[in-house]
Amino acid sequence: MLTIADRVTVLRRGRSMGTVPRSGATEQSLARMVVGRDVIFRVEKQSAKPAGPILTVEDLRVLDDRGLDAVRGATLTVRAGEIVALAGVDGNGQSELVQAITGIRPPVGGRIEVDGVDVTGRGVRAAGTAGIAHIAEDRHRIGLVLPFTLAENLALRRYRAAPLSRFGWLNPKAFFTLAKRLLGAFDVRGGDPGTPAAALSGGNQQKLCIAREIDSDPKLLVAHQPTRGLDVGAIEFVHSQLIEQRDAGKGVLLVSLESEEVRSLADRILVIYEGRIVAEFPPDASEEELGIAMTGGTVAAA
Amino acid sequence: MTTVTKQPPRVAAPTTKQIGIVAVVLAAIAWVLTLPPIMARTPVPSIVLGVTAAVIGVAVLRDSNHRRLGGVTVAIGLIAIPLAIAMTNQTSANVREVFTWSAVVASGLTFATPLIWAALGGIISERSGVVNVGLEGMMLVGCYFGIFGADVCSSWVLGMLIGMASGGLLGLLHAYFSIHLRANQVVSGVAINLLATGITGYLFVAHYGDNGTPGTLPQVPNVTLPVIDHITFLDDAVGRQTNLLTWVGLLLVPVVWWYLFRTRAGLRLRAIGEQPRAASTVGLKVVATRYGAVVTSGMLAALGGVYLSDGFDGSFNFDMTDGRGFIALAAVIFGKWNPFGALAATILFGFSTALAYRLQTFSQTLGTLFQALPYVLTLIAVAGLIGRSRPPAASGIPYVKE
Amino acid sequence: MKLPPSVSRTGRALLVPLTTVVIAFVVAGLVMGLTGTNPFKTYVSIFDGTGLNWLFPWVGGQTRTIASQDLQQTLVATAPLILTGLAVAFAFRAGLFNIGAQGQYTVGSVLAIWVGTSFTHMNPVLHIVASIVAAALIGGAWAALAGWLKAVVGTHEVISTIMLNWIAIWVATYLFQENGPLQGKQALGNPVSNTLPNNVHLPVFWGNPALQGLDVGIFIGLAAAVVFWAIMNRSTLGYEVRAVGHNPDAARGAGINVARNYVVTMAICGAFAGLASSVDVLGWQFQVSTADISGSQVGFLGIAVALLGRNTAIGTVAAALLFGALETGTAADNINASVINPELAPQLTLIIEGLVVLLVSTDLIAVRLLGLPRRLGLGRPEPGADLAQALEPDDAAAQAAAVEGFDAGPATTGL
Repeated sequence: MLTIADRVTVLRRGRSMGTVPRSGATEQSLARMVVGRDVIFRVEKQSAKPAGPILTVEDLRVLDDRGLDAVRGATLTVRAGEIVALAGVDGNGQSELVQAITGIRPPVGGRIEVDGVDVTGRGVRAAGTAGIAHIAEDRHRIGLVLPFTLAENLALRRYRAAPLSRFGWLNPKAFFTLAKRLLGAFDVRGGDPGTPAAALSGGNQQKLCIAREIDSDPKLLVAHQPTRGLDVGAIEFVHSQLIEQRDAGKGVLLVSLESEEVRSLADRILVIYEGRIVAEFPPDASEEELGIAMTGGTVAAA
Repeated sequence: MTTVTKQPPRVAAPTTKQIGIVAVVLAAIAWVLTLPPIMARTPVPSIVLGVTAAVIGVAVLRDSNHRRLGGVTVAIGLIAIPLAIAMTNQTSANVREVFTWSAVVASGLTFATPLIWAALGGIISERSGVVNVGLEGMMLVGCYFGIFGADVCSSWVLGMLIGMASGGLLGLLHAYFSIHLRANQVVSGVAINLLATGITGYLFVAHYGDNGTPGTLPQVPNVTLPVIDHITFLDDAVGRQTNLLTWVGLLLVPVVWWYLFRTRAGLRLRAIGEQPRAASTVGLKVVATRYGAVVTSGMLAALGGVYLSDGFDGSFNFDMTDGRGFIALAAVIFGKWNPFGALAATILFGFSTALAYRLQTFSQTLGTLFQALPYVLTLIAVAGLIGRSRPPAASGIPYVKE
Repeated sequence: MKLPPSVSRTGRALLVPLTTVVIAFVVAGLVMGLTGTNPFKTYVSIFDGTGLNWLFPWVGGQTRTIASQDLQQTLVATAPLILTGLAVAFAFRAGLFNIGAQGQYTVGSVLAIWVGTSFTHMNPVLHIVASIVAAALIGGAWAALAGWLKAVVGTHEVISTIMLNWIAIWVATYLFQENGPLQGKQALGNPVSNTLPNNVHLPVFWGNPALQGLDVGIFIGLAAAVVFWAIMNRSTLGYEVRAVGHNPDAARGAGINVARNYVVTMAICGAFAGLASSVDVLGWQFQVSTADISGSQVGFLGIAVALLGRNTAIGTVAAALLFGALETGTAADNINASVINPELAPQLTLIIEGLVVLLVSTDLIAVRLLGLPRRLGLGRPEPGADLAQALEPDDAAAQAAAVEGFDAGPATTGL
């Protein structure tokens, strides 16, 4: 934006917040205009206090849609109270790994355990019951049912149980109550419980996904590219939510393609390359070290 | 550093797929043993082969990657057994009469022809990103206006052109609604079918009344091929009784394939059907191309209709397409939006329809039941061999320019 | 043309279908005018033929009696159309295109007549119920076969339901034909089933049973519409069906068993179509002939009814009433032969139906003529948008839909 535009106009909550010439704009100043206050690009967080393992993945093997090996023996652990970032170049098996952990795609080998419960290939519901929440890679495709109302979207994880339904029959009032509560708590703007999700902005759609997933009170939160395509305010929100979850003693597995996000959020960084976890780094690893590992280079892993 | 690499085995162990295919071939042999020209008069070899194929099929079934192949093998292996028993119980004269292959080919082509035309139309439309459920209606207007044109102009050529134009017009209507007005294409297609039934019925009653279309009309001729019409078998099968529109339709299959997959225009059409926005960004004319494709689709389907009325029947009757447009739609999906695939589907369908009619020789009562054969076979073939099929990505989605 | 702002929102919403129908009638009137038939007299004749003039208090005497009979006919024709319309609409909501209502109807009528003419010592009420239930079950099973094929091997339901239609039609023809296994004992050379005993008829509650008065089948249709609404909007099953219809990937991601959903959805559709056949068989046909089998269009018309009704329960009922009225109003024995050739009238019905469906395929009237905002294609059940994603086992269409933007509106399918 700053390299192309001559002038920049910022819109917030339907009103123009002012126009500035490019020469007078910096990333920081624009961010302030967009959000309405200063934005911290460097995420501030306490150091992690990890406890016992929440997620154990052993020698996992998963095929992709074409039946080819996508994950070829991945092994990793996520402990309670830490953010583990999975860094890697797109297409190195991240999607299939996440889909296997969250129960969407049955693995062909290996083992997935959540807090001691074996959920390998047991499906989405079993994974959810065991305590896995999933902020999906593509909110339009997997995360949301766009034509559904906000209330219906927020109910996607809970509609099977009381109070949202009893004996197979829905309770619209409970849908409404749930939606009111979550829309308020997560500051989702742009609609009421009856608004279709497609009418929201990308950031608010993502808040909707996060609200639903976090509200399921998971033990492990799998966040797959949670900030893709979002504006700075929304990115900040997502980041703070992930840290909040970590501080609440939950395990967070963050899959991201952006090394800055990885380095600023993670307590540990795992690098995935060609379907295997090839290296582990502390969060202060240099961009270069990460880059080499992500492209299959051999720097001694920390 | 010397490493000892394992020698690759001389003969690779056959894969499950290969085993399955061998079993399918065995089952196929079991099918034909009792039919002309072999005409075995005992079912035993067929039963042995059929059971063998079925047993192998069960083994194949256990490989979860080849469930479908296994299922098909078991099915056709087992069907071979009653088939062989039934054939050997019939008099050989009867069997020879039913399975006069040259006649089966001739009449199979007759049944396949209208479907080929409509299916080619369907492929072109859907490859451009417009679903065409209205094939049935476009065929039907072709039926009526083909006859009407031939009658009024006393010329089958003009009849053909008028029929084609009527299909093109209906295609234009579908195009206008689905492209310009961004209509739901399925809904618009269903409407086209209702409209065509009503319009042709209305005009038929208003123009021809109770007498129906005249008995003697200039019809699209059959073609007599030089040389071939003197070769046994081929003469009866394709030498003399094959309609001009059948030949042209068959020739169009490779032409449409070549157009779609080997020309720049075809590439553009497919790009527009897969990623219209991207195609538009590189300067392709999405709207114009889709209009062209849908109108062409209407004209092709209408020619299938012209064949039915002015080629084969020589008359028109209410709703005479009788669901053929939908069969063609099924052929498009069956063939995975590829002209040769669709041709295979229409041939399978046409030939089994022809056989079903001939099987009435065995039993008039059961003959009616045999009429279901083409549909059962198509269903088995689709379920067993084709499986999941992926339509052009943008098919059915109206294009909105940014 | 823009409406003055004083016209309320509901007023505008009601105007859309009304305008649609009016335009269709005007265009069809033009066709008539051009071919030398007086459209005004024809429409009056059709209207009187539907019996809807019974609703006018000033119509009295003999005319009123005839009108009541015609209205009974209209409603008798409406009942099965509601049910086949629901059979198609339910599938559309799940993103499936059920072209197979005709076949499901056909197998239903076979079982309805077989159960109804067998077990003659049964309690009549139980007998009627058994016959209806049997028709619904076989229809459901027949349709579930297509759902199962889609779920297990991915066979496109358009292919399987078309094939199953024809298989049903030929098998039923075989059963009732001359020397067929189910040909009636008294049929004497006619290709027709046994005839239902009088006590297995659906009770007629308005009009003369001998003159084919209105039987309770219409209530079966209306009750089914209520059930449709309740399942779709108030049950977890309906919630899942809609989720799968809009976005199967998201549904799968939420732990919904999409494959099972396809089977259950189709079974419910088939049950509706099976019910339709039992309403016809037990309500007024009382026997099934091979001509009934091959001549019936009620399942195919269900597609148009569902689409016109926008796949909602109330819309389907209204559309079925319109279609039922048109069919009755243009039936050869209801039409005034001095006004229009009785053979032309049914063709006119098809033209009007086609025009109506064509006009509802787009927002033309709502947006261009009435100045309503373009529908977003959201929240409302849009068959196309649902279809695109459901017909699309992979991701392409869903992605395309997301890319194409939401104003793409009501119109995507991946046939």
